[in-house]
Amino acid sequence: MTTSIGDARIRVPDRISRGDLITVNSIISHPMDTGFFRTAEGQPIPAFFIKDVVVTYGDQEVARFEWTSGISRDPVLSFTIKADREAPLTMVWSDNQGGVFQQSVNIAFISA
Amino acid sequence: MTDNRFSRRSFLRTWGLATAGIIGGGALAAPGQLLALSEPLDPGDPEVPNEEVARILKNLFGDRPIRKGHVSLDMPAVAEDGRVVPVIVESDLPMTAKQYVKGVHLIVDFNPDAHLAAYHLTPTVGSVSISTRIKMKRSTWVRAILETNTGEVWADYARVLVSLNGCG
Repeated sequence: MTTSIGDARIRVPDRISRGDLITVNSIISHPMDTGFFRTAEGQPIPAFFIKDVVVTYGDQEVARFEWTSGISRDPVLSFTIKADREAPLTMVWSDNQGGVFQQSVNIAFISA
Repeated sequence: MTDNRFSRRSFLRTWGLATAGIIGGGALAAPGQLLALSEPLDPGDPEVPNEEVARILKNLFGDRPIRKGHVSLDMPAVAEDGRVVPVIVESDLPMTAKQYVKGVHLIVDFNPDAHLAAYHLTPTVGSVSISTRIKMKRSTWVRAILETNTGEVWADYARVLVSLNGCG
């Protein structure tokens, strides 16, 4: 495993038809530190977590997820989207130390 | 003689039942006392929130009634590891341009940050079916509360037993 903070993946179904309700699965690599723990040397580990996830479909913001450090490390998130147009689906994760991570997939319909 | 024997038998039966009742009752009470010693018990009814949760609910929904229904909160009854507890929130409410679920709130009663997550949705999402994984400090109630664009508030609750503290 050579993942670094902010590595993200989004998975959508292989075959999508217009109007389908599709499930979008996502995962991002992030420690999600609460700020309550210390290292083995006794140094406090500062809070470091993703505070929001914004989902845009085409040019429309379709969902925004506000998180706290109560989300588990390497956060997974899955939700549904009504696939009514061919457009990129973009997710932007922002953490409390200014990190911004982006990943997108293209929603394209199978030619019938 | 027959009278006497009958009365002795009925006396024994009554006495036996009474003894069984006392012993049985004692056995049932013991685990409750053990639990009470290890940690203070939650209020059994999730609709009676603690002070912190009451404040969060007041800020989010004001005086609007929080009714149970239209939401399903799917969580394990026992979470071995409080650092990773799966949560699925689903709803049967419509997601159309006129009527949709605009917000979903996850509240974990005794976590350091009880208002764990807030989801803001639009009709394009198509349905409320959201899953993620959360941390839990101890055994408590989890609340999934959703708010429609018309101002209705619906909720579902789940009691989760946590074996390993996931919050430090």
